[in-house]
Amino acid sequence: MRTLLIVSHPDIIESYSQQYFLNSIKDVEEVTVRHLETIYPNGNINPTEEQRLLKEHDRIIFQFPFYWYSSPPLLKHWQDVVLEEGVTHGPSSTMLKGKEFGLVLMIGVSEREYQAGGSEHFTISELTKPFQALAHKTGMEYLPSLDIFQFAYMEDEQKMDMLIRYWQKLTMENGESLTVRERWLVNKLERSFLQIHESDDQNVIRHAIHILEENQMTIHDLKMVLDQIQHP
Amino acid sequence: MEQDEWILNELQKVFERTNDYNHRVLIKATQDMLKEQQRRIYQMENEMEGTIWSPRRWGE
Repeated sequence: MRTLLIVSHPDIIESYSQQYFLNSIKDVEEVTVRHLETIYPNGNINPTEEQRLLKEHDRIIFQFPFYWYSSPPLLKHWQDVVLEEGVTHGPSSTMLKGKEFGLVLMIGVSEREYQAGGSEHFTISELTKPFQALAHKTGMEYLPSLDIFQFAYMEDEQKMDMLIRYWQKLTMENGESLTVRERWLVNKLERSFLQIHESDDQNVIRHAIHILEENQMTIHDLKMVLDQIQHP
Repeated sequence: MEQDEWILNELQKVFERTNDYNHRVLIKATQDMLKEQQRRIYQMENEMEGTIWSPRRWGE
């Protein structure tokens, strides 16, 4: 699976959160990162090039700070000029059909405010309806968004957990089950540790992978037995 | 269980001696996943025991 990550942020160098996440995926081959404000400083987006990239990827992710319940202006402009009836979607075009589409949002307000009764009153799912409609209109499957609330206030361990969820959003098959997450993690461990380094650490990682897989088999077997007991 | 404790400790040692941040993140994720699997296995084993000993099944 190849992922196209379209990032929009008017001042990305100064954004600690954007840098934190983007730095972590520099060497991830299957993710193509496009920061719109760097590529198009004058705002003259090349629709043909963008459409070519869309065609080449299976999952499209928009990453941006959630400004006034929407994206920065260049990402809106990107949508206006790149998503073209008859080219990217519509009865005569299936370019985007069947691809996956999702959002990674950096949000400055705390999560509890995004609900009826909170200071923002609406949930993120309600406020991102235009993006859901975009996916629907172009035939793409909308993925649950990754909402990163108040990144600057997170503890180190929370940041690490969030980074894992970010990598999963970019490279893991859609689904949150233990089986899907375990398979993704084993693959990531094998690619990160076992191919590059030659050290004692490798043995520990190999052993951990073995136990992860063994546990997963135990869970699978227990599930089968439970099913048989409960539905004989 | 002993095997799990052992591997969690070994992973912690790797976590502490590596300088690569992405590797640290992955090691922490591995430790968390091992703990989550253990919890799931424990819950399922309990569920199985509960089902086998359920009075509903005594009449069978």
